[in-house]
Amino acid sequence: MGSSTSHLSKELLTEYQELTFLTKQEILLAHKRFSDLLPQESRNMEDSLRVRVSTEQILTLPELKANPFRERICRVFSTAPERDSLSFEDFLDLFSVFSDAATPEIKSHYAFRIFDFDDDGTLNKEDLKQLVNCLTGEGQDTQLSTTEMKQLIENILEESDIDRDGTINLSEFQHVISRSPDFTSSFKIVL
Amino acid sequence: MLQRPKARLFGTGIQSYFTFLRFLMVLNLLTFLLTSSLVLLPLAWLHSPEPGPALNTSYHCPTSREPQPDLSRIHLHLWDVFTGRALSNTYLFYGSYRMGPESDSQYSVRLAYLLSPLTCLLLCFCGTVRRMVKGLLHKRLLSRDYRPRLSSKVFVSWDFCIRSREAATIKQHSISNEFKIELQEEQRTLQMQQQTRKQRARQLLSYVGLNMIIGLLVVGGISAIYWATKFSQNYKDESLSLLLQYMSPGVISLVNNLGPLLFGFLVQLENYPPNTEINLTLFWCVVLKLSSLGMFLFSLRQQAVLCSGRSDHSSCEPHGYNQCDQCWENSVGQELYKLSIFDFFLMLAFAFLITLPRRLLVDHLSGQFWVWLGREEFLVPKNVLDIVAGQTITWMGLFYCPLLPLLTSIFIFFTFYVKKYTLLRNCRPSPRLFQASSATFFFQLVLLLGLLVASVPLLYVISSIPSSVNCGLFSNYSAPWQVVPEAMALRLSPSAQKVFYYFGSNTFWYPILILLSLTLTVCLSQSGANKRAIKGLRRQLLWQVREKWHLVEDLSRLLQESGGSDSWGPESPSSRSSRPRSFCPGFPCPGSPRSRSFMDPGK
Repeated sequence: MGSSTSHLSKELLTEYQELTFLTKQEILLAHKRFSDLLPQESRNMEDSLRVRVSTEQILTLPELKANPFRERICRVFSTAPERDSLSFEDFLDLFSVFSDAATPEIKSHYAFRIFDFDDDGTLNKEDLKQLVNCLTGEGQDTQLSTTEMKQLIENILEESDIDRDGTINLSEFQHVISRSPDFTSSFKIVL
Repeated sequence: MLQRPKARLFGTGIQSYFTFLRFLMVLNLLTFLLTSSLVLLPLAWLHSPEPGPALNTSYHCPTSREPQPDLSRIHLHLWDVFTGRALSNTYLFYGSYRMGPESDSQYSVRLAYLLSPLTCLLLCFCGTVRRMVKGLLHKRLLSRDYRPRLSSKVFVSWDFCIRSREAATIKQHSISNEFKIELQEEQRTLQMQQQTRKQRARQLLSYVGLNMIIGLLVVGGISAIYWATKFSQNYKDESLSLLLQYMSPGVISLVNNLGPLLFGFLVQLENYPPNTEINLTLFWCVVLKLSSLGMFLFSLRQQAVLCSGRSDHSSCEPHGYNQCDQCWENSVGQELYKLSIFDFFLMLAFAFLITLPRRLLVDHLSGQFWVWLGREEFLVPKNVLDIVAGQTITWMGLFYCPLLPLLTSIFIFFTFYVKKYTLLRNCRPSPRLFQASSATFFFQLVLLLGLLVASVPLLYVISSIPSSVNCGLFSNYSAPWQVVPEAMALRLSPSAQKVFYYFGSNTFWYPILILLSLTLTVCLSQSGANKRAIKGLRRQLLWQVREKWHLVEDLSRLLQESGGSDSWGPESPSSRSSRPRSFCPGFPCPGSPRSRSFMDPGK
């Protein structure tokens, strides 16, 4: 690694620190981890800020490997037209939202987007079904039966859908989240 | 110094257990600091007489039969340390504090000694209540309307910090279990609502019967403790055998370990929903634990009180209590000290002699039995109850054994690391998740109950029971509380005394009580009004949304009629068709440029 690769410039670092919830050390660590995913020839400073890393590579990170929502996370934070690759700034965004310092509003906003599997802006029954399947896993013995799933989704809608339109929108989601004090501590990924 | 263990495998509920341990250790250290700075330091500063039992000054007593223990020759026999005998002449126990008469010195050590346990208990009470109130918003006692049970479980339960595949699988299993249990319970509730009156009466009867049986078991366990204490106190000085000295702590631990097993077994015989089973078992365990400690203290005091404060001490001779030689506060302090030590060593024994071999056997042997046995589960409620019982013992002993908090904090320090080791190496996660927020509330509640169980006897002793004539600071008073009026008479001007008497009299407290009741009534009615307002607002929201969709339907119908093309407007949810992508109510649409302002931290 040449001298141009090791450190981000001070101005850039300060700018990133102001725009995200991360500290300087966390930004530097994120940059290092991002560069490790890049091919050898792009690991210099200018390229690392420009080049995108494909989702498959991001999914090899140990922090995301075991997460059932990993594909959704990559998709939500990606700014590429095909939503299949992340630039360094997307990467920083990801860890900023999942950091300790992020506010609960930001976290719940992004949690909503991650759980919205069909990207239509609300959580309908299909979204909830996929969400529950992610939570319970793929095994035969852990998956809920059809009746149980139906009962569960009806209960969720009964509890959270205040305006009774059959879907959960962002405000209703945030209302539910505000009643759970454990959310901020569980919606966290630390590098 | 103390790091939180990375116990993500086991859930956030267990992390809160370790946080709770740390909180208790800090509490004990602060208590010790308060006591030592108020009592020990002034004693050392004022060059008071060396700690030791007072000489026989009362004319009731003949010269003592037993030789006084030589102060310079401390018993280094390990056994004496464990029974507290070796330390009975040190500042650890009540009996060795001595002080000249009140009028001699500026600083009243007696007052400090009396008030420091009370202050510590009051501060602990305030600290615990404050922590409880913080979690009050989210506790489970909220009604269904305000407590989205399943939704919050679905949206919040995944822990994004999990990194290993194995931990993820375990978490998925526990989440799936939890959903299934909740759904089962709901089915059960629906079924129960459809029962006939006769069936419901029968259910209620069996519920009451079960509780009565368990109550009888609890009473039986407690009486066993009473008799064991009485027995061991009777033969206290005669022999130093292991069995008799540690008999009462042994019986207490036996009762407290068998009890929950029995309760769990009995409760499972009836077919209750899982949450009810767990809550019932937990409730009776808490009752058993705290009442066994209360009964232990009560039987100790009965032995002591019956024999001191009586003019004819001949009736106490058979029991081994000679009024002139004995210091009943010391013996109570010694019993509590022994109980504390015993609990700690029992915890060590369980960790290293039961859990560790079990893990070794399960891992290295194969066979149906070992597979079925499995590693031990780390049960958070049981561990919390043990810790709270230890803390209750410490609080009970604040008056008799002022340095007990220091000992307890050392014990908690070692307990932290032993439990961490046991958890991470020898245990498996329990299939039932224990959420952090409800866990904290439960811990604080049980702690508060323990505080109550410890304070009531203390207040009773301080205000009514005469101390021994032979030892300690309060030997010349009818009750330790009498120091306070005397100190006030000595040090305060008459007008200041009048003010204090006013604060203690009825004319002050009755108006305060009336004021508090008024405030409570106002708060309750306000909360009722708020609930009604919330209901009304929810209805309004519903109507407004329905009205909105009604208008949209009207609009699209009108446009259809006027435009003639097929409808491009959105469909309302009642027509059950999917919404087109161009309408995303209340949400920045995907595909719109990602605005930087979202990432702006609070500008």
